[in-house]
Amino acid sequence: MRAIGFVFLLCFASAAHPAPAFDLARLMQLLAATPSSEAPYIEKRFSALLAQPVVSSGTLVYVRPDVVEKKMTAPRQESYRIAGSTLTIARNGTFRSIALASEPILAASAASLRGVLSGDARQLGEYFRFALDGTEDAWQLDLTPIDEEVARYVQRIVVSGRLGRVRQVEVREASGDRSVLTVN
Amino acid sequence: MPILPRAARYALAFALFAALALGAARLVRIESDFSAFLPPSATPEERLLASQLREGLVTRLMLVAIHGGDERALAQASRALAERLSRDPAFDYAANGSAGQFAAQGEILMRNRYALSPEMKPGRFSAPALRAALEESLAQLASPAGMLTRANVARDPTGEFLAVLRSMEPATAPARRQGVWFSADGARAFLIAQTRAPGFDSESQAAAMERVRQALAQVAPSLQATLSGPGVFAAQSRRLIRADAMRLGLVSTAIVLALLAIVYRSALAVGLVLIPTAFGLVAGVLAVQAIFGSVHAITLGFAATLIGESVDYPSYVLINAQPGETARAAARRIGRTLLLAVLTTVASALALTFSSFKGLAQLGALTMAGVIVAGAASRWLIPWLLGERLLELPRVRIPARWFPPAPGLRVAAIVVALAALAALVPTRQRWLEGDVANVSPIPAALRAQDASLRREMGAPEVSVFLASRGASEAAALEAAQAILPALDRWQSEGLVKSYDSPVRYLPPPALQSARLGALPERSVLEANLREALKGLPYRPDAFSPFIEEAAAARGSSPITRAAYAGTPLGTKLNAQVLTLEGQWLVLTPVGGVTDLAALRAALGTLKDATTELIDLKAVSSGMLEGFRRAALHQTLMGAFAICVLLAMGLGSARRALRVVAPVAAALPITVALLAGAGERIGVFHVVALLLVLGIGLNYALFFERPPASDGERDRARLAIALCSTSTILTFACLAFSATPVLHAIGVTVALGSALCLVLASFWAAPAGIANRDGSNRAMR
Repeated sequence: MRAIGFVFLLCFASAAHPAPAFDLARLMQLLAATPSSEAPYIEKRFSALLAQPVVSSGTLVYVRPDVVEKKMTAPRQESYRIAGSTLTIARNGTFRSIALASEPILAASAASLRGVLSGDARQLGEYFRFALDGTEDAWQLDLTPIDEEVARYVQRIVVSGRLGRVRQVEVREASGDRSVLTVN
Repeated sequence: MPILPRAARYALAFALFAALALGAARLVRIESDFSAFLPPSATPEERLLASQLREGLVTRLMLVAIHGGDERALAQASRALAERLSRDPAFDYAANGSAGQFAAQGEILMRNRYALSPEMKPGRFSAPALRAALEESLAQLASPAGMLTRANVARDPTGEFLAVLRSMEPATAPARRQGVWFSADGARAFLIAQTRAPGFDSESQAAAMERVRQALAQVAPSLQATLSGPGVFAAQSRRLIRADAMRLGLVSTAIVLALLAIVYRSALAVGLVLIPTAFGLVAGVLAVQAIFGSVHAITLGFAATLIGESVDYPSYVLINAQPGETARAAARRIGRTLLLAVLTTVASALALTFSSFKGLAQLGALTMAGVIVAGAASRWLIPWLLGERLLELPRVRIPARWFPPAPGLRVAAIVVALAALAALVPTRQRWLEGDVANVSPIPAALRAQDASLRREMGAPEVSVFLASRGASEAAALEAAQAILPALDRWQSEGLVKSYDSPVRYLPPPALQSARLGALPERSVLEANLREALKGLPYRPDAFSPFIEEAAAARGSSPITRAAYAGTPLGTKLNAQVLTLEGQWLVLTPVGGVTDLAALRAALGTLKDATTELIDLKAVSSGMLEGFRRAALHQTLMGAFAICVLLAMGLGSARRALRVVAPVAAALPITVALLAGAGERIGVFHVVALLLVLGIGLNYALFFERPPASDGERDRARLAIALCSTSTILTFACLAFSATPVLHAIGVTVALGSALCLVLASFWAAPAGIANRDGSNRAMR
């Protein structure tokens, strides 16, 4: 079923943009060709509880093939590191490790980041249905959770970028809250 | 007596039996209540244990492991199965560790978070404390891992709900994958289902197991489930025992019938042999029903074994008939010996009847009534049925040398028996069965599976309870609350692995009031919050749900157990907070106790004396020990009565001694041989020894009867040989059973009756006339 959807998507994507032949396979190719990276980011959080968004910033590190680390430096020092099958949170000088497999939402979040950064459509396909829009220079990948357990928390993840670089990750939560992470 | 036509006599006997059997079927109430095997003098602790063993929460837990698929398929099946089982009337609930389960219960905890949270202390809602909590919430908002926890921030910025959940979380929960419980390797998804039926109700447990399998077959046909737990054991053991007993029973019945057919060469004779036992069993059951108002299933099983000796009675009558002698005349001739055979069994059973164990008393009554009726049927009914008809039974001769009277060996037998006793008494700790688990009819393989499942699930077997007493529910809860700090300490020291205290979700009312008292007045809280919000990016009205709920909680009354009605916690409360003889009792199950003595000592050092430790294993082992001791004690009393009876019946102490000696020697030798072979002697062996006693005395009695002629001696030998062979064969079949109960009874009776036979022949009476082989003369 998922495979059929995937094929359909590919067909649709290529039919809509026949000229530069930009499709999911091409995007994944571009992403897969991008080496490990380290770039500053800014994240804005919007919530019904907040009068204005909370802004945090730091460095987003990606080490091929499966390590993603968000090193927050402002407003305080914090780090979220996804490596292998665990998420490690460093906060206030303490480390906490959580097995990604323990909660579907954690596994899905990790898959969305690592799947995009490594250009691994299979990993993404395990948790999300996807829709690609745009061109090589300005693409937008919509990820919608397949699993009900994930959908309880996340409505949609929108990743956008240029060529093999991810520029922005927007997470729209089921609660109506939303966060936008922009990589420079 | 008017001579009825033979057909009419058989019809009459059949009608009588049919009426009795029908009566029994309609009147008799079979119960399988474990407490029948508790002494009525049991301590409250023992009675509590009995109720815990019968229907306690622990007995109603069913562990379910789903396997045979990939992680995602297993997790989906786990969710679907939990959802289905929770709706199934056979289950209270089914938990799989997923966060979204039990929404209603979660809402109750959420609503009462201020009464339940262990973090509730004065100053919790001061402006600085609120400020810290709000900053923490802000961090949670930004955290990718905070997605799970931030849903309730507006209602509960200080995180009391999470504190409640944390306090209730078991210390040793299984690993989680895909949000549900999994084995560490991810190959099996785990659920814990709570059956509504008590654990001992094997029939309902079997039905519940079937429902789990059916539900799984519907939600995920390609996956398999492994089920375990006390109720599963009850159902499995019943099935195993029944199947085993049925199979072995059929085999042994076939063997015995074949043997009887070979010896008698008469279908009529074979049929007649079964009559007294059938009458005896029905009469015994009716008698117990009349006296006790119900018949225990275990009684029924054991008693069917005990009155098994009555199968021998008609054989003694039929085979002892001389050529041309009617059964009536033969029965009259051996009547006295037959009477003694019956009365000796009655004497031992009578002793059981006085037992304070209801189960043992029932056993005695059933055996007594059964043996008397079977004896009477053999003495009068069978001769009446046969009338003047002569059963021309073929003479199978048992060579005299098979049972040579051997006075020389008597001394040897006594020496061996004394040696056996001398070896047994000092080593009894080694061969007496003390562990209840080993008495359980569950094959070792199933128990090993349960143990490994529990290890994987991090659900240690609970065999220790802390029982906190109080004059009221509140007082008992106070007592249970008082031991929590000690329990936490013991847990960190590794003395216990886990505990499950009901005061976590039903704190004593005073504690709840104190916690609610930590909530400031609404106006104060609002002011504190305003102060705390200064400079934070929250909207000013973001926390109005918090203000509303805190204000409502402040004026609310403490949560009671009624609030939990219909939820899994409600089920637990009903089992853990109870009344016992006008007192309230709060049970805190403690799992994975490494050193019981140390725990007991640690509990002793607490100032609070209202909590005591109940060790299920010790109490049930103690009960078992008590049962065995009572059975042994009653048997000794019965033995004394038997000696007096024999001395009177035989008119000579010397002759009585000749009957008693071989059996008295055979019993310790039997036990010694069993112990030597590595058997651990449990309660089932003791009951089996009672049967050996009855059967052995019969052999000795008939061996001891001074024969009037060679022919009579031959016939007596044949009767004994036939009876003993059938007994030994029947029970040897049982000895092959994998079920501990059947094996114990089988091996004990087969060995014991064989020994009785051999030893009784040593003490055989000298013949009145000279024997062909002259052994008799040699004896003189």
